[in-house]
This record gives sequence, structure tokens and C-alpha cells, in this order.
Amino acid sequence: MRLARDLRILGLLGTLLLCLAWEAIGATGLGGFTWPPLSRVIAMLADPDRWDLFGRAAGSTLASAVEGYVFGALAGIALAMLTHFLPRLAPGADRLAAGMHAIPTVALAPVFLILLPAGSTAPTLAGIGVAFLVYVAAASGLRASSAAHRDLFQVLGSRPSARLLRLDLPAGLPSIATGLRLAVPAALIGAVIGEWFGAPRGLGVLIVNGMQNFQIVLLWSAVLLVALISLTAYLIAGAIERAVHARFR
Amino acid sequence: MAGSGGAAIALHDVTRRFPLKGVPDGVLALDRVTLDVRPGEFVALLGPSGCGKSTLLRMTAGLDAPSTGTVRVGGNEPAAVAGRQGFGVAFQDHALLPWLTVRDNIALPFRVAGKPVNAARIAALIALVKLTGFEGAFPRNLSGGMRQRVNIARALVLEPEVLLLDEPFGALDAVTRRHMNLELQRIWTETRTTTLLVTHAVEEALFLADRIVVMTGRPGRVAQDLAVPFARPRPVEVMREEEFHRMQDSLVLALEPEAHD
Ligand SMILES: Nc1ncnc2c1ncn2[C@@H]1O[C@H](COP(=O)(O)OP(=O)(O)OP(=O)(O)O)[C@@H](O)[C@H]1O
Ligand SMILES: [Mg+2]
Repeated sequence: MRLARDLRILGLLGTLLLCLAWEAIGATGLGGFTWPPLSRVIAMLADPDRWDLFGRAAGSTLASAVEGYVFGALAGIALAMLTHFLPRLAPGADRLAAGMHAIPTVALAPVFLILLPAGSTAPTLAGIGVAFLVYVAAASGLRASSAAHRDLFQVLGSRPSARLLRLDLPAGLPSIATGLRLAVPAALIGAVIGEWFGAPRGLGVLIVNGMQNFQIVLLWSAVLLVALISLTAYLIAGAIERAVHARFR
Repeated sequence: MAGSGGAAIALHDVTRRFPLKGVPDGVLALDRVTLDVRPGEFVALLGPSGCGKSTLLRMTAGLDAPSTGTVRVGGNEPAAVAGRQGFGVAFQDHALLPWLTVRDNIALPFRVAGKPVNAARIAALIALVKLTGFEGAFPRNLSGGMRQRVNIARALVLEPEVLLLDEPFGALDAVTRRHMNLELQRIWTETRTTTLLVTHAVEEALFLADRIVVMTGRPGRVAQDLAVPFARPRPVEVMREEEFHRMQDSLVLALEPEAHD
């Protein structure tokens, strides 16, 4: 407990130090003119005139990320269950998932831009990243039940569906929860990259606009916003993961 | 089947070979074991470590299959008996589900069978194994002895045709173990379920069983089959009787030579 509190304080200190360094490098001009001090970035984010712009962009990115996250997670879990019942499909599904994951998102984006209806590139890219991570976690989670428990269910005359519901799924929840946490940043990365390649609005669009129009502070503001959203969601997912681990292990 | 008509458990000429790398014929774990358990009988299986007791029990439960020979429970294949929820099992590893409370762990066989949960039956069993007040506790918050009592209650909840126990108290200290034997004796006297108990402990076998089957070391064969003469219900004092000590000594001796191989 004491150690945990100490670690938290250390983490806060580290973050503070990082912010100070950012500010100092920006203020002295050590990082060149593309490195603005943190205070200017925060000032832009805090400017009420910009809230509408940032709010709509963040809302759009978040919507894409959440859509991709939900569908990707469901697809990953569904595929894991399918291979659980039909183990012959497992090697093929593993390879498909690994293959999809091996192709860089940036390389896939233009393809989806052509193939998919307008506006669905961002959620699709978010979903693919999420689906892979959740599939891998769920597939190994569904195999995590102990031999003694599997024997018990067999002797109790369990049907496969009862075993999935009452043994394999609960035993796999810790692993699935870990996968869901790791998938949070993947969803946001997918959404932002998807927006780079074409979306009416979003933080990814702001980032691209900032780069192309040399609006350095705007660029940094959008990046900082993505990072803050990702970090917050990651921390929430981490808390859920800890609760699941405490309950199901 | 000849010779086993009416037997609750009938193992006939059972041989089990396990494949082993580098050994062409594998390991012969059980060699032509024949064993009948009558309905309502409590049989204890005694033998040195590695003689195939657990294997025999797993085959009875349909978790393993004999290389040659037949296994019948109530005249049926074990898998069919499992399918109609005819087994109650408690193994050394209590195998309670860590995410379920005591009550839900005991209710599990109902749910797995797709039967409505009989709350009154569960409450009665919780009282029987003396866990009243712990219904909502999780296994991780129970002592080893309490977990095994949940395990026994779960094994009994569907009123099984056959109870299979594999060293259910093997991991407990001597005092708790003796206490659990008293409890099991009391519970069993109320239900009289056909029971096959695997154990290392001679005292446990003598106190609980109607009949003791002693096996030889690898490969496992039936060496002795003796009736336990003590009348039921058996009080603790049975363990102080001279006949009890005499049988205990002779059984320990029967197991002894195997201990040094
Ligand atoms: N799945 C298996 N694969 C290979 N060999 C096995 C397997 N299960 C058991 N054996 C072998 O069969 C023999 C009997 O094992 P078993 O577990 O039935 O013995 P046991 O009498 O229950 O021993 P203990 O009293 O130590 O529990 C042992 O030699 C063991 O190595
Ligand atoms: Mg054993």
C-alpha cells in the first residue's frame, strides 16, 4: 500500500518534470520554432473560442474510436469463441489475425478509403487493431481454465454451451480484460490515422491541418488532446481490469 | 454382464497402459483389475503411491478409458451416467470455482444440468456440512477444511447414484482430517450413497468403509479384498477397539513392502 502510494507520487513527480522540461525547451527555443512551450499549448486548449473546434474534433475521434472499439472487441471475442468450439479453425484464424496485424495501419488506410463508404475509415482502422488484440487475449483466455475444473464439468455431464458460459468464459475474463485495456490505445491510434486519410472532422484532421498550414501550436494541442483522452481511457480500462482480476482469479 | 449383475460399479478385467517416450510398451499402470461395488456399499481403495488408484477412479467417472476391459456404472457406460448427472465427485484438488460463492459453487451441478436450483436442498446441505453463515463467502476466504466441505456438499447436491472420492482430505492436517472423517461418516450414514473412496490412510479406510480393496504397487493389481466388520453407525470409539488396531497393523504391513520400491 505504501509502495503503491510512493509509486503514484513518483509518477506525478516524473510527469511534472517532463512538463517543466517541455516548457523550458520551448521557452528557450532550444528545440527550434516547431517546439512551442507547454504553456502556449495549454493556453490554446483553454481558450473558450477554440472549445467548439476542439470539442467537435475530439467528439468525432472519440465516436470513431468507441465504435471501432466496441465492434472490434465483439468481433475478437466472437472469433475466439468460434475457434474455441471449432478448434480446427484456430490455426487459420490465428494466422489471419497475425497477418492483419502485421500490415501497418498506415498501409491499410488508403485501401479502406477506396473500399469503404465515406467516414468509415477511422472506425474500421480502430476496429481492426482492437479485434486483433482482443482476439489473441480471448483465445488464450478461453483456454485458461484448469484441468481439474474441466474434469469436473465433464463428470457433471456439462454441455459445451454450459461449459463455455460457466467455466471457460469466467476463467478467461482476466485475460480478456487485459486485452481490452491494451486495445484502448490501439482504438485511438486507428481512429486518428483513419482521420488523416479522410474524414470530415476529428483530431486526426486537426493534426494534418496543423502540419500542412504550419499551425504548430494547433498541431501540438490536438496531439496533447489525443494523448490525454487515450491516457484517461487507459486508466479507466486498467481499473476495470484490476476489478475483474480480483473477482475472477 | 456375467458376475456383475446388480453391481453399482463393475470394473471387469481392466488394464491401462500409458504411453511413455522411449518405452515401446508404455507404462502398465493397471493390470487386469476386477472390482464390483454393490449398491449402497462404501468401498475404500488402498494402495501405495502410483499403483493406479486415481486412474481407476477416473475411469469409473469416464475421464479416462481402459486399454482393455470394461467399466460399467449401474450397467451403463460412464459417459452415459455423467450425462444423466449420476456422479458426485470430490478430488484432492477441491476444484471450487474461485468466482462463485459457497452457495453458487454448491448450486453449480444444478445449473450445469440445466435444472432449476433447489434452494432448500442447498441450504440443507450447507447445514449438513456445517457451513451455515458462510453461504456468501468466496473459496479464497475459506480454510482448507471448509473448502473440502463445500466440495463434499457439491458432490452430494444432485443425490448422485455414485459418489467418487479421491483423497478428498489428503491435503489436510491430521486433526482436521480426522474431524472431516467423522463428518463424512455422519453424512454418509444419512444418504448411504454407493461410494468409492481412494485413500492413503489406513485409519480413514477402516473407519469409513464397508469393504477395503488393497492394491499392489505398479502395475496395480487387487491384492486383498476384506470386509470391515464394525457395525454402523460407527462412533469415534471404534478407532480405539482392539480389532481396529489389529486390522490397521495388518493393512499397514500389507502396504509396507511397496513403500521401499
Ligand atoms: N495421464 C497419464 N499419462 C501417463 N502416465 C500416467 C498418467 N496418469 C497416470 N499415469 C501413470 O499411471 C500410474 C498410476 O497413476 P495414478 O495417479 O493412478 O496413481 P495413484 O495410485 O493415484 O497414486 P497416488 O497415490 O500417488 O495418487 C503412475 O505410474 C503414473 O505415472
Ligand atoms: Mg492418486
